[in-house]
This record gives sequence, C-alpha cells and structure tokens, in this order.
Amino acid sequence: MLRLTTAIVATLGLAPMAFAGTQYPLKLTSCGHEVTIEKAPESVVSVGQSTTEILYMLGLSDKVAGTALWINPVLPEFAEADKTVERLSDNAPSFESVLAKKPELVVTPYEWMIGPQGAVGTREMFDDAKIASWIMPTECVGKDNTQSMDGARKILFDTALLYQGISELAEIFDVSDRGEKLIADLKAREEAAVEKAKALDLPADVSGVFWYSSADIEIDPYVAGINGVPGWMLSKLGVKNVVTSEEEWPTVGWETIAKSNPTFIVAAEMNRRRFPADDIAVKREYLTSDPLAKEMEAVKKDRILTMEANAMDPSVRAIFALEKLSDALAGFGLAK
Amino acid sequence: MGWFWLAPPVLAAALLFATAVGETRIPLSTVVDVLAVKLGLSARAIDAIDFSVIWHYRMSRAVVAACGGASLALSGLILQALLRNPLAEPYLLGISAGASAGAVSVTVAGFGAGLVSMSAGAFAGGLTAFALVALLAQAAGGGAGARGAGVIILAGIAGSQMFNALTALIIAQSASAEQARGIMFWLLGNLSGIRWPDIWLALPMVLVGLGVTLWHVRSLDAFTFGAESAAAIGIDVRRTQVVLIGTATLITAIMVSLAGAIGFVGLVVPHAMRILVGSRHGRLVPATALAGAVFLMISDVVSRIALPGQVLPIGVVTALVGAPAFAIIMIRGRQR
Repeated sequence: MLRLTTAIVATLGLAPMAFAGTQYPLKLTSCGHEVTIEKAPESVVSVGQSTTEILYMLGLSDKVAGTALWINPVLPEFAEADKTVERLSDNAPSFESVLAKKPELVVTPYEWMIGPQGAVGTREMFDDAKIASWIMPTECVGKDNTQSMDGARKILFDTALLYQGISELAEIFDVSDRGEKLIADLKAREEAAVEKAKALDLPADVSGVFWYSSADIEIDPYVAGINGVPGWMLSKLGVKNVVTSEEEWPTVGWETIAKSNPTFIVAAEMNRRRFPADDIAVKREYLTSDPLAKEMEAVKKDRILTMEANAMDPSVRAIFALEKLSDALAGFGLAK
Repeated sequence: MGWFWLAPPVLAAALLFATAVGETRIPLSTVVDVLAVKLGLSARAIDAIDFSVIWHYRMSRAVVAACGGASLALSGLILQALLRNPLAEPYLLGISAGASAGAVSVTVAGFGAGLVSMSAGAFAGGLTAFALVALLAQAAGGGAGARGAGVIILAGIAGSQMFNALTALIIAQSASAEQARGIMFWLLGNLSGIRWPDIWLALPMVLVGLGVTLWHVRSLDAFTFGAESAAAIGIDVRRTQVVLIGTATLITAIMVSLAGAIGFVGLVVPHAMRILVGSRHGRLVPATALAGAVFLMISDVVSRIALPGQVLPIGVVTALVGAPAFAIIMIRGRQR
C-alpha cells in the first residue's frame, strides 16, 4: 500500500515539472522494469484498445504504427484517425509482426500480452530488440498476475492509476500539456458522475453484478471481482458488489448470484463472438428464460444495463461507463 | 444379491444430500418443503429464488451427476472386461481427446460462429475420434482375439495423440487468457450448466446403457477369460463387441457433451466394486452403476463447497478424492 501511495505521489509530483518539456533520456520504471526513452518516439505499436485510444486522445495517432487486441469498435470521434492505423491483429499479434513495424516503443495495458508469460513477448525480448516497452500502471500496481491468468487485485482499482498512465505516456511523447488537459477533463467527468449518484440518495442495500461472459451459456459466468474496474464503479456510486472475490474475473455460480439477488445486472456487450454468451442478446435471453435467473429482482424489474466490455477493464472508458451507470441508477427508481 | 434393495434408498439419500448442500446455505426444511410441493404433498409458499435454486439448479444437477457417474463407470467396466485390460476406460479410446478438440474448435477457432455450443462441438468431436480409432483398429487387423484387444488400445492411443495435438495447435494459434480459462473449465468437467431439459438426454441414455449391459452380463463374464473362450461357449464375439463398445462410446460422448471431461470415474469405480462385490458381472454391473452415480453426486457436492465462493472443476475432485480412496480400497482388498 505504501508503495502504491509513493508511486502515485511521485507521478503527481512530476507532472507540473513536465510542462517545461520532457528531459531526455527519460528513465522510468514500468511494472518493475527499467525503461529508458532516448527521445520522443516517432513510432509506437499499441497492443490493446485502451492504450491505443489514450494515444489517440493525446493527439498521437500519427505516431501509432500498429495496433492489436480490439474488443469493441473504436470511440466514434477517432473513427477517421483509426482508419489510417494498421491493425496487426484483432487478437494477440505475433512478436515478429510487431517488430516488422520497427517501432521505437511498444505499449500495452496487459502483462499477459507483454510480460513474463506475454503472448506477444517478454520485456527482455523487446529489450534485446532495442525497443522500449511500457505497460499501463493499472496492470501491476496492486495487482498480482502470477497466480491466475486474468490476475487478482489486492486493492481496489483507482482512476489515479489511469491518470498516472496517461501522464507517463504524455511525458514519454513530450506532450505533457495535452496529458494534463485530458486528465483534468476526465477528472471533472468522474466527479460529476459521482455527484449525480450521490444526489440520488440510494438506499444502503442496493447491489449489483457485472456479467462479462460465460464459456457456455448455462455454466458459471465470468463476473467482475470486488477490486476491478466494475468494483471501483460500484464503490464510487455507493453500491454493493454481490461478488466478493479478489480475482479480476472470477467464475461464480448462478446459485450464489441469485441468492444474493442483486438490484441490477450490468451485462457486457462486445464484438467478440467466441462464446455464445459474448452476444448481449443471448445474455438477455438467458436472464429472462432460465428458471433460476429469471427469478432475480433485477430481471423481473428489467434492471439489466448493457455496457461495452472494455469499459470494464482499466481504460478511459471506465469513466464514461461510470457516467452511464450513474444515469441508469437514476432511471431505476430506487430512491428512498 | 440380497443387498439390491439398498439401491433406491442409497440413491435417494445421495440425491437429498446433493440437493441440500450447495454454494449457498439453504435450510434443510426449505429443501424438504420444495420436494413436498413438487410431489404434490404440500402447497406451502416458498421464496421463488430458494425454490429455483433447489429445484432447477441443484436437483437437476444432482440427477445428471448420478446419470453421468453411472454412465462413465459402466463404460469403464465394459471396456475393461471386453479388452481384458485393467487400465481401459472411456478416454483410452480417444473419446475425451476428440471431445476436447471439438470443444476447442468451437470456442477458439470460431467454428460455427458462436451458434454451435461447446457441448455440441464436444459431442461431434468425441464420436469422430472414436470412429477414426475404430477404423484404424479395423485396418490394422484388430479381430476377435487377444491381439484385437491390443490393437484397439494402440489405435486409441494413436487417436488420442492426434486429437491432443490438434487441440494444442488450435490453442497455440489464437488462445487468450480468458479462452484458455474457458477451455480448462470445460476440460476438467463442469456440471454448472445442467438444467432439467438435459435430463431427457441423460436419463434415457443411462437406462439404455444399463439395460444393454445387464442383458450382456453372461457375455461379459465370458470375455473376462478372453474372446476365444467367449466364442467357445457360443457367444457371437463380433456382434457383442460392436454392441457393447458402441454403447460405452455413446453414453460417454453424451455425458462428455453435457458435463465436460470428467476423468477417473470409469477407471476407479469398477475396480473398487470388483474388490467389494467380486468379479461376476451379474452383481458387478448394478453395483458399478450405483457406486458411479453416488460417487459423482458426492464429488459434485465437494466441488461446490471445498472453496467458499468458488466452484472447483469436478474432474479435480474426482481425481483428488478418488485416487486416495481407491488406494485404500486396493490395499484393504489385498490384505483380505
């Protein structure tokens, strides 16, 4: 915990200095790995939708030489910019396809892409190729990726980590002024959404569950753990998560979920079609037709909210999703 | 034969136990109320969620667990007798490997574009693999004799290796962390997707399987001394092999498609029963079916309560609980 606080304080402390322009070579520690940036990178490969969208928001789309690992359509305001960027793969790209773009930097939101067991490669492989690698701090501060594939969060996700990531990326590219403006905008939206929910004066027993997908429609679903982004949204809005696991995406039986009888259900929507339950229509059909699921209060009162899947992983979309959830809570008619 | 009257009460007690114990705590009185209402003995009002958990979720799951355990144990018994190999069990004939490959082609390779469920893929894969193994054994000259029994086991090993390689190939191409988890979940067996409609498949299949096996107890006894001895007392060796192995394959493939690959039951239960009731199939067949049913129901209960808030794959439990129990029975049996 001390390390987390120190890390955040250190970053926030750095930010005002950065307005003067980044001093190169820039040395920083990214997920425990020493990285040296010699100059503002001219080309970057981003393995993950959330880092790609942050780069777009920082006005750096012309520096992005390739992207990969997409789960939802790009934010509409960047549809044009995204067309000019090559998509190496919708899933994990190969190490060689990343190297072929000859980037000066690779960035990713996930250690299972670039990390000790990285699907793309290890940090050392990129070091040897003289390519700097950077991972979102949301992936490793307070998160343990060694015990399970999706990892477990020991402490609650916080947007401070997201802002730290934006700030670091902005510093790497010497656009700290843009970074600070983006962070200020996002913070304002986050606060407004929280205020809105507070104004609702919700009863203390309101609870929710986030359903990501299921490997087969009727089996135990993947739901959001207590400390991930959905857990953060719920705690920000003063709502209880019916799931108590620290795993990022634990499987929890429908029996446990139904007995907890959540006030509302947030169901993920995604382009991916790997499991039948990836389809939001299939999810809704299941909830309303399964003899157990349909008895839940959330289903009977039609409190099922559709949300983009990647808003449930650490990204700027988490803040947009917080706004959406806050608005939805207002519409549920739950006020005391 | 005097102990056969024990079968219905033992089954009923195991069913009640499996229905009363689950992920969440529901009082036994509520369980009894639900059963009474369902049997038309009571009209008491029960909380809709409690009712659904007990009736739609736990009860259906317990019944299918019983059918599955009986099917897998019977398959193992048939194969051990026919192939005169104590290590024979359903998976030896490539059924499990084929089912895995089928499931993986649906989930990872996107075969069927999300419209075909993983279980349908598993069923098709299991049958395909067995058909290939049977053809290979035929081509290699697997006949009625002792050599024939050896050939089909070798063919099964070859088939399993090929389908395992296919699974590895598909996973290596495109698996993500979440997919790998989804597959693991399924490869180790999982009963959480069971609802009442599945029983219309499971129950008739196990009854047919049990009927066919009971019809052939004399042949099974004869095969224990080799196919030549069976032929010598006037048994149509070829026809019996086709009917019995076909039955074993079908009931296994059905169970694998419903609940995933659950190992160990087909191997352990028949051996344990042989030690307890002797090797005459007239007693061995019903004892094996009963013990398999009870074993899998109890394993499923353990899988649900061993770790609080989390459900273990049932295959892990059958192996972890079954192996030591089997060892004890084996040692005791030898001392006697």
